[in-house]
Amino acid sequence: MCGIAGRILNSPGRVGNDLVELMDAQEHRGADSTGFAIYGPVRDEGYVLRGMGFDKAQLDANLDDFKNVLRDHGADHLSEPEILVDSNQHYCFRMEISEPKDLSAWVSDADELSDRIEIQSCGKSLEIIKDVGGSQVVADKHGVRDMEGTHGLGHARLATESSVLPNASHPFWARPFSDVAIVHNGQITDYFTWRDKLERRGYRFLTGNDSELIAVWVSDQIKSGLTLEQALKKSINSIDGVFTYMIANTGGIGFAKDRFAMKPIVSIERGGDICMATEEQAVRRIVTEEAEVINYDGPSLTGLWGVGNRRLAA
Amino acid sequence: MNEHVVDVGKRHIKEVNEEMQEAAAAGKSIRVVNTLSRHNLGVGLPDGTDISFEGSVGYYCGGLNVGAVIDIERNCGWALGEGMSKGHITVGGRAGMSCGAAMIGGTIHVKGDAGPRCGVAMKGGNIVVEGKIGYQSGFMAHSGKIIALGGAGESCADALWEGEVWVAGDVDSLGVDVNVSEPTAEEVAEVDAILDPLGLVDSSRNWRKMVSGQRLWYFESRDASAWLMI
Repeated sequence: MCGIAGRILNSPGRVGNDLVELMDAQEHRGADSTGFAIYGPVRDEGYVLRGMGFDKAQLDANLDDFKNVLRDHGADHLSEPEILVDSNQHYCFRMEISEPKDLSAWVSDADELSDRIEIQSCGKSLEIIKDVGGSQVVADKHGVRDMEGTHGLGHARLATESSVLPNASHPFWARPFSDVAIVHNGQITDYFTWRDKLERRGYRFLTGNDSELIAVWVSDQIKSGLTLEQALKKSINSIDGVFTYMIANTGGIGFAKDRFAMKPIVSIERGGDICMATEEQAVRRIVTEEAEVINYDGPSLTGLWGVGNRRLAA
Repeated sequence: MNEHVVDVGKRHIKEVNEEMQEAAAAGKSIRVVNTLSRHNLGVGLPDGTDISFEGSVGYYCGGLNVGAVIDIERNCGWALGEGMSKGHITVGGRAGMSCGAAMIGGTIHVKGDAGPRCGVAMKGGNIVVEGKIGYQSGFMAHSGKIIALGGAGESCADALWEGEVWVAGDVDSLGVDVNVSEPTAEEVAEVDAILDPLGLVDSSRNWRKMVSGQRLWYFESRDASAWLMI
């Protein structure tokens, strides 16, 4: 089932806190795992990484290997990684890095280590935080409520297509495209057909999750010359299944909804700030006074919201 | 009749619904405030209950209604009045997907638009929508009437059984296995009898009545290609 949400603030603020509320209100849609994609200040130089390692007993050795790959590509970490270790086998880290010569080539080489350590997101602004458990658990563990930015996505997962693992949680980063993240509610039925086509084009997938595929599919369409809006519209007739997904970059958030109109999405605007969610009762956590709620009920719909309250298209 | 006010806010919905049931059992009319589009409000209310919701409600409001008169000031989410057998529900705004799903009796009156699959699998009763009904409305309706005064979306009246879809206004497209007819004066009088208590009779309407073509009733797999929609 899954629940998804998006939030755009008119000016930078506590977008993390709002997303935690939106996901807490939708936790009944799936409490296997929860994740957030937060768009903070945009860096002029370098990237911010969020990553995950799978064996904390090998933490130091694995991080050293990871840093060495980074150095092989002409970059380095700008400060010591912030590492989060708890009772789980996996650990999480945040790292700021200088720019590799070729981002895609570096990601490809770094992914050779993905059985031990995995990049969750890489961007000038984007940080993806995801873990097993409900929204409050994940938010408290990772300090999501205190994260500030202009916009972001949230996801509550009911696992259907792949395992309940921290790295199979949403949002997914559209590797290796910086600053692109996706949350998705639905099932893609021609997953393996598209995965095969995209792998032949050189893309790598680290999970069996269909949402990871959509993120790359849309980004590949944009790389091929389409605008985000065109790619969203094209996805409706190109990808088979029942779905509503939201995809974000540094400029804003877009959504697409399939031909069967099975997966809901609503939006509400108040004071220049915008909330989107699977369920109306979630956006009411943020906007408690009566305000016009837009239900995107019909089939084959797309929408695009820009940061700074610019309604780009729908 | 004394009024009892129920404040929803972030309270547990089971507790809220229990308070409604107790107020209904005491013969009080009920006004529900601070609804915040919460789900499952007013499910299974008994016959004779008079209840109003200020603001908007979420999914399944008024489900399994057995005779309550329910008034919703603004919008409602999915499956309003699902499985209701008796009573009357009025929505001041719009209704979400699957309005009146599997209802077997009573009346739902939506003053705005209704979302996709309005009246899906309904087995009786009437749904009156002053606005437009959404994608695939009437899907597999076994009985009862869906009456849309403001048109219909795509795939209207898809795979009907013995339900009827009445539309005044434009229909974006028809579903599979639909017969469309211009109704007789007697049939229009039947619909007007449903609309009259709502103050919605208008003799200038051009109705289209949709019923099943009955070809899917005896579906054979060798005919599958004839029904492919996508």
